[in-house]
Amino acid sequence: MPEKIRVVVNEDRCYLCGGCAGVCPTLAINVSASRWEFFQEKCISCRICISACPVGALSGEPLGVGE
Amino acid sequence: MKYDVVVVGAGIAGPIVARNVAKAGFSVLLIDKKPAIGTPKQCAEGISMTVFKKYDIPYDRRYINREIYGAKLYSPSGYELELRYKEASGVILERKVFDKMLAYYAAKAGADVLARTEAVDVIKKGGRVAGIKAKHEDEPVEIYADVIVAADGVESKIARKAGINTYAPPHEFDSSYEYEMLIEGFDPDLIHLWFGNEVAPRGYVWVFPKDEDRANVGIGINSDNPQTAKYYLDKWLKENNIPAKKLLEINVGVVPVGGFVKELAKDNVVVVGDAARQVNPMHGGGMAEAMEAGTIASKWIVKALEEENISLLQNYTKEWWETDGKRLEKVLKVRKVTEKLTDEDLDLFIQVLGSADAEKIASGNYGGVIKALLKHPKVILSPRRIKLLRELL
Repeated sequence: MPEKIRVVVNEDRCYLCGGCAGVCPTLAINVSASRWEFFQEKCISCRICISACPVGALSGEPLGVGE
Repeated sequence: MKYDVVVVGAGIAGPIVARNVAKAGFSVLLIDKKPAIGTPKQCAEGISMTVFKKYDIPYDRRYINREIYGAKLYSPSGYELELRYKEASGVILERKVFDKMLAYYAAKAGADVLARTEAVDVIKKGGRVAGIKAKHEDEPVEIYADVIVAADGVESKIARKAGINTYAPPHEFDSSYEYEMLIEGFDPDLIHLWFGNEVAPRGYVWVFPKDEDRANVGIGINSDNPQTAKYYLDKWLKENNIPAKKLLEINVGVVPVGGFVKELAKDNVVVVGDAARQVNPMHGGGMAEAMEAGTIASKWIVKALEEENISLLQNYTKEWWETDGKRLEKVLKVRKVTEKLTDEDLDLFIQVLGSADAEKIASGNYGGVIKALLKHPKVILSPRRIKLLRELL
């Protein structure tokens, strides 16, 4: 089972291209024209979004037990 | 608001659908979340000359940067293969102008067009999608429509919220990164492509010329790669002593290169273009595919509205899968085999292929080329290469 993470964005690197939202299997990310949003309750910690970002703008912070 | 059809997304497929359906006399609203349609772009901007006539798009100098006469391919060790036509075979577009003009053509045909209008959810009534919730300049709006078209790009939010499964595994996406930059030393009449597992894993680096000394320079790699697309493009520029100091634009994105959506219409919702993963898996280009899908989809939307029979939308799925879907599945098979090629294979193939072979590959005729390669002595001596090539036949 993958380590539970919270996906965070480096806003200075992010181009709001929407690619991370496109590859997310659970609609845990929403990218609008002006902002990037993450929905922890939908995330399955698969890290696909982190790999797919063309500029490395996403990273995963380990979640503590119960978070 | 109430329309016959609402189209979400003004990339390529969306405006084609909006234009065609509006031309048939139905009320259409085309929305796009961007404040300026076409900006930013996520595209290498090259397209075949044939699409203008085929999809009734004016050959307009406002969005055509230059005509292209062929391609030059570079292997990992520097072998080159050139394909050059006497007549222009394609063009490099200014996508930002092109996309906006496609939306303009839709508007001229009668469609309403709203930029900076973001679809946030679907409205469901009686178990079916009745419209979409959107935000126009941050004000909430409800748009009701008989047919909802999800042309919302790789994110495909609306299709997914409507219950269409657009999921594709991570390996079926490419990550792409590109500069528009000043660059010299490349024949501006040709597009240039570099291959190699260290250069661009599963993909290629491209230089698509704009003017004599300006180009769209980019890369696509498998999206499940541990390194980023930016890492590989910057590495390539450095290794080739190309200074990255005159950057006019930076564009990034993720491109579907497989995982075509099985169910393209569900009740009164249809999905087209990148949202439906309708992209060529070999080169990652999706404009022509989006135009084709948009044309098929709009034909069946018009018939469904004329005959007041929404179930006719299912014919879009059927027709696409019998035509372009069938073709792209074959291309996907080729991509899966080419993923297994080593740098030595790529060197050999580019060395032994001639321009006539390249022409066949460019036109999608892989069979003849593979048969020719199978007769080459260096291929005959390698059981692995024979096995790989036979997988393609």
